[in-house]
Amino acid sequence: MKSLQKLSRFKLTLLVLAIGLAIFPFVSDSRTALIMLTQIFIFAVFAMSYDILLGYTGIVSFGHAMFFGIGAYTVAICLKMFGSTMPAFFIAIVLTLIITGIVSYLVGILTLRLKSHFFAMLTLAVSSLFLVTAEKWRSLTMGNDGFTFVVPELFRDRVSFYLIALVLLVGTYIFLDRFTQSPMGKVLQAIRENEPRVESLGFKVMHYKVIANVVAGMVAGLAGILYAMSLRFVNTAVLSVELSLDVLLITIIGGVGTLFGSVVGAAIIELARHGLMDLAKVHWIFERWVILFGIIFILVVMFFPKGIVGTTKHWWDKRQYKKKEKLRKEMEAGAVKDTFS
Amino acid sequence: METIANITINGLATGMLIFLLAAGLTLIFGLMDVLNFAHGALFLWGAYAGIWAYTTTGSFLAGILAALVIGMVLGYLLERFIIKPVYGNHIQQLLITLGAMLVLSEVVKVFWGPNILQAQAPLWLQGSWEIGGLYLIKYRLFIIAVGLIVFLGLLFLLNRTKIGLIVRAGVMDKEMVQSLGINIRKVFLFVFMLGAAMAGLAGVLFGPYSGVIYAEIGLEYGILAFIVVVIGGMGSVLGSMVAAIIVGLLGAYAGYYAPDIALAVNFLIMLAVLIFKPSGIMGMKEAVR
Repeated sequence: MKSLQKLSRFKLTLLVLAIGLAIFPFVSDSRTALIMLTQIFIFAVFAMSYDILLGYTGIVSFGHAMFFGIGAYTVAICLKMFGSTMPAFFIAIVLTLIITGIVSYLVGILTLRLKSHFFAMLTLAVSSLFLVTAEKWRSLTMGNDGFTFVVPELFRDRVSFYLIALVLLVGTYIFLDRFTQSPMGKVLQAIRENEPRVESLGFKVMHYKVIANVVAGMVAGLAGILYAMSLRFVNTAVLSVELSLDVLLITIIGGVGTLFGSVVGAAIIELARHGLMDLAKVHWIFERWVILFGIIFILVVMFFPKGIVGTTKHWWDKRQYKKKEKLRKEMEAGAVKDTFS
Repeated sequence: METIANITINGLATGMLIFLLAAGLTLIFGLMDVLNFAHGALFLWGAYAGIWAYTTTGSFLAGILAALVIGMVLGYLLERFIIKPVYGNHIQQLLITLGAMLVLSEVVKVFWGPNILQAQAPLWLQGSWEIGGLYLIKYRLFIIAVGLIVFLGLLFLLNRTKIGLIVRAGVMDKEMVQSLGINIRKVFLFVFMLGAAMAGLAGVLFGPYSGVIYAEIGLEYGILAFIVVVIGGMGSVLGSMVAAIIVGLLGAYAGYYAPDIALAVNFLIMLAVLIFKPSGIMGMKEAVR
């Protein structure tokens, strides 16, 4: 009970939400809702990993899909080569963590010393090299066409797959929340706010940025694994620039610098995509839903730079502060009255 | 021998086309320090509007004019409504112009449909001259000529005219120029529109060069322009020229001798340049913080 009291009201809400989502498949038997929620969970994990870079450290990367793609390809190739068994799946997880770890470390130490936009261009370059490699190494990746593979028994059932994705989401959230609240995470946020000052305080900025890059890369790899398994198919789209831009959109719209914002962003974008695609039957303009998307994106950057969750949080904090101030003033007034009476 | 000569000429033409695209970005990104990711969209609009005007009127010059005008109009709108609120903030510039890029590329599909459009060179630029085994395709020579004219014109504008002086001074110290009684905002707007018009020009010239245009070229060539500006060095018109020719030539050679890595060549060059000389070949500004 005591540990429960320690949790803030926000975390408690999240806990209730997670439990609600966990029992959802046993209450409703809508297959489309289940699949869509699974997709949302996967993209939320991907977006949270991106938020560690963009929102918490202030690094813009255009090549985050690279790590996502490495995860997707690793699991696909492992399951194809070693057969659709659980050990093969676990090998894929370990391999993904190792490969994304090494790649993100190397990319980090080579390029993070550059200014933000140069870094963005470099990540774009490196991820494009991966894309070209995947397209040309046909014996391994089947090039642009991609290939299908069979997933282990456990993942074939939509409900259990849904639960696994949910567990990954909650686990990632808790892990990244601890990470950003740790002294390490505080340094990252300080780098975002004022890099020269952090450096002059004696912190090795590069060192911290590389660690952020590695953590983000590894988590994105995990999201990629689940994404490939949900489709049971993989092709070079998982490495494309468009995917990197998608995750950027999700993070911005949800709100940078708040992990929960990434989850909200993923939900909004996935739901909007489905909803607007259905509307295409009503009027052809909805087939071009990206226009609407782009406009919303521009407006969000202009007027809500903190995104949906960030803005809400700001407003909420302000209200709480005002309430507290009012309470304090009333108490002070009361105290003054007491002394005079 | 003839093969090498032919490849060189083709590479030069490609390089000049890339230069036209990158030159606009050099002004916008290199001089004014605005990360304009919508540059590819201006190129795309130049291609579509230009080719449309060209096919409806039958005059290639009308197409070029239309591309220049659409570039300027879009440049004006972008600067006024999208970029003005985020001057000085790189990350926001990057994000907001990305949004503009999405919108503009998608609106193209509304007007001209999502399918590939064909484009042909006008009659007077079709065909080629043959000189001793050397094939000189007229249209490519035309692109090289236009590229050279624009290059010299830009150098003249920046180094020999008063407006060039103001722009260069404004880049170094905005407040100082402002305090001298010059409306630096207006100058920047002009530079932005000029850069946008050049992107439009590159777009319409690209149409007959590749034979087909489609909505995805916006992102593809926008990224290519950034690569060239980064390789050449921020704010250096000469650097962009050198980088564009390097990219064009190496692309052509790789396409012939090692087609497997042709797609990756640009990125490999940029990677090498950024790792060993982050400020670019002719760069003056420091890229490492």
